[in-house]
Amino acid sequence: MRNASSRVLRLAALAVGAALVLSFPSLAPNPYILSAGVIIANYAVLSTAWNFVGGFTGYISLGHGALFGLGAYGTGLLVVRAGAPSFVALFAAAAIVALLAVPIGFAALRVRGASFVIVSIALVLILLLVFQSWASFTGGSNGLVVPRPFPGLLRPEHHAVFFYLFAVLLAAALLTWWLIDRSWFGLGLKAIREDEDKAQALGTPTFAYKLIVFVVSATFTALSGGLYALWFGDLDPIFQFSILTGAYMVLMALLGGVRHLFGPLVGALVVGYALEYFKLEYGNTPLHLVATGLLLGVVVLFMPDGVIPAFTSLYRRFFGPAESSIREVTAAELRAPTGVPR
Amino acid sequence: MPSGALLFQSLILGVLLGGLYALLAAGLTLYFGIMRVVMIAHSAFLILAAYLAWYFHERTGLDPLLSLLVTVPLFFGAGVAMQRLLLARLRPMTLTMMSVLLTFSVALAIEGTLGYVFTGTQRRVRLGYSGASLEFFGARIAVVKLIAFLLAAAAMLALYLLMKRSRFGQALRATIQHKDAAQLVGIDTDRIAGYGFGLGLATAAIGGTALALDSTIYPSLHWHWIGPLMAIIVVGGLGSVPGAAIAAMVLGVLQAVLQIPFGTTWAQTVFYLALFATLAIRPQGFFGGRLAQRF
Amino acid sequence: MTGGLETVELTKSFGGVTAIDAATVAFQPGKVNALIGPNGSGKTTFFNCVTGMIRPDSGRVRYRDHDITGRAPHRIARAGIGRSFQLCRVFPRMTVLDNLLVAVRAGGLRSSRNRAEMERARGWLTRVGIDHLEHAEARNLSWGQQKLLELAGVLMADPETILLDEPAGGVNPALIDRIGALVRELNAEGRTFLIVEHNMDMVMSLCDHVVVFDRGRPIAQGPPAAVKSDPRVLEAYLGV
Repeated sequence: MRNASSRVLRLAALAVGAALVLSFPSLAPNPYILSAGVIIANYAVLSTAWNFVGGFTGYISLGHGALFGLGAYGTGLLVVRAGAPSFVALFAAAAIVALLAVPIGFAALRVRGASFVIVSIALVLILLLVFQSWASFTGGSNGLVVPRPFPGLLRPEHHAVFFYLFAVLLAAALLTWWLIDRSWFGLGLKAIREDEDKAQALGTPTFAYKLIVFVVSATFTALSGGLYALWFGDLDPIFQFSILTGAYMVLMALLGGVRHLFGPLVGALVVGYALEYFKLEYGNTPLHLVATGLLLGVVVLFMPDGVIPAFTSLYRRFFGPAESSIREVTAAELRAPTGVPR
Repeated sequence: MPSGALLFQSLILGVLLGGLYALLAAGLTLYFGIMRVVMIAHSAFLILAAYLAWYFHERTGLDPLLSLLVTVPLFFGAGVAMQRLLLARLRPMTLTMMSVLLTFSVALAIEGTLGYVFTGTQRRVRLGYSGASLEFFGARIAVVKLIAFLLAAAAMLALYLLMKRSRFGQALRATIQHKDAAQLVGIDTDRIAGYGFGLGLATAAIGGTALALDSTIYPSLHWHWIGPLMAIIVVGGLGSVPGAAIAAMVLGVLQAVLQIPFGTTWAQTVFYLALFATLAIRPQGFFGGRLAQRF
Repeated sequence: MTGGLETVELTKSFGGVTAIDAATVAFQPGKVNALIGPNGSGKTTFFNCVTGMIRPDSGRVRYRDHDITGRAPHRIARAGIGRSFQLCRVFPRMTVLDNLLVAVRAGGLRSSRNRAEMERARGWLTRVGIDHLEHAEARNLSWGQQKLLELAGVLMADPETILLDEPAGGVNPALIDRIGALVRELNAEGRTFLIVEHNMDMVMSLCDHVVVFDRGRPIAQGPPAAVKSDPRVLEAYLGV
């Protein structure tokens, strides 16, 4: 159980982490590093948002790229076509995606396992098709240019502002995740992950729970997409509706650990940094696809619970005390009415 | 209202296309039936086979169909290896979800490797008979499409005979229907599962070679195939080979016919519409009968 | 007799196999009922239909004079019917205590570390005898301990009627006695039981009312002694 000193330690670590995040823009040596930081912050929000569904319910969605794209294009189109102010567009687009998430979730969450994943992939592919073909509205393959919300800012300041904006969004996502994690709602979700039928038999309204958490996940994902659109300023269906983005989210969450609050963030830091480094050193070659594939494969095969549990179990195997079985209860002890010895 | 001739032509085209879809979907649904695995990498292997056929033709000048002699056994072996070495290592509790991620990672690795080795330039096989076509009651049929269809049909027939008439096929069907019961009657289900996977990838080899005859190929092409194929197997009923074949024909014809009014790109949405409709109305699929599972 | 769990002409087929064949049966509220029959007679399918996990093809399921046919499983659970599974199901990667807390009706974003509910859960764990395993992960428990855990979880939901699917399955005699004693205690406190069992000793000693199923329909019902000597029952169990 948690004791006072470990609590102080965790709060201190949190404070240090927050301080690092707040000071990053001033510490960054050049605007390129700063923009890489923005990208990683975006990944952190996305993987945490994905983890609402993946971590709590165990449903692996490969289609969150679709929600990201919808948030980005929604925001962009509202600004460009409807003339909405940037941040009004951002929240309006997120609201639209949240509403869309209801029928999408309705269709996708009725089925389990394999069908769910298939639907999630299909979602990305069909949206890619639609946004590429409907060129008159979306700009098609020529892309959509989204005007910057703060046109007067210089490049580094622009990056810094958006870094903080993403950080705020991340904090909101983390807070929500933490609230759900410790709540009855969260317990029900985890029961769904462990055994959905059994959860139903115990009275958990599984479908409603799944749908709610899916809408929450979609909302945060769409907000991140919208912020990205405002920051980057240039949208293209191939990049916005990308299965690869969805794959990154899954990889990051899985790597960091889906059952931990900061797992996806850790995964985003590791994978995001690796991706940016790779891009810098080797340019945009197809090899980063191979690297992503290999890394994902390794994580799935050897550490599906994430790096943290993998390392702690490795550590425990070599350095930890020998564990005794809890099955060592004799028949006599079982027969005893109460007060079974500990 | 499109002319009768145009409609007939599209119908024929749809049937030819449907045949190819049927072969590929059969393989995809086989993996699911055997091991409850969603094999996202199936279409990546399809494109890999297409590239190998193209490369073979570039290097030797011989007909790419001859590459089948190499690719079919190669892919069979790869399928067995994939099943025994990778998929068998996954925990049964989260098998389906994790298999998606694992096969997805294989698909990424294949796409990346193809992009690296062959670059992103679009490739196309140029044959003597590439442009030839036949007349059939007023419809023009491209010879390459016909060959692709015949190849797919032959492969489907072979698959059917194998599954229904051979001892291996019997063991395979038993493993699909009830793994524990199959084990109880002495079937080595692990080995059968491996061979079943090999069979699935072998169909990808055939399908890919057929594809190479007629299509322009590039590394990310597999994404254009996995969507429709997955939709087909859901509509047909996950795990049911006949269901997949029927759904493939129906949707192939629909796609071809809808191309007339809507154009190629929008006609492709018919697969996704069918997918969502199936999940909304009858999640266990329409054509699978008793074999289909609700997943 | 009204007020209890009953079915009217309940029918369910799978492909060509009729699992439940126009079954009309009423279980006695406040008693320990048994549902017995040869393997394949439709008992578990019956449970699944009654608890909403499967939709019957036709017929009605009634509970306390309300029609609950085809309702979602969680609504039936909340109506007061709890069930255990033939192959006992627990939440493997959750602690024993959390396994029980899932059954709590409270919802929302309030913290699940509610002292009152945790104490109530501990009460049930003590009653079944696994309170010392409170912090263990369910997947590390032995089969017998998991059965007790599943039972405690069902009871945590505070059901009025409890369906047990083979509670003595794969369990050593000492534990069977203990489960039997617990059922008797809980029945004395007012809970109704419906038990599917093959262990005839347990059925005969524990149950007040026995229903015998064969090929999807009830062929005999009554007190254990009467059913035991019924020729139709003997034929179903020993005959063709």
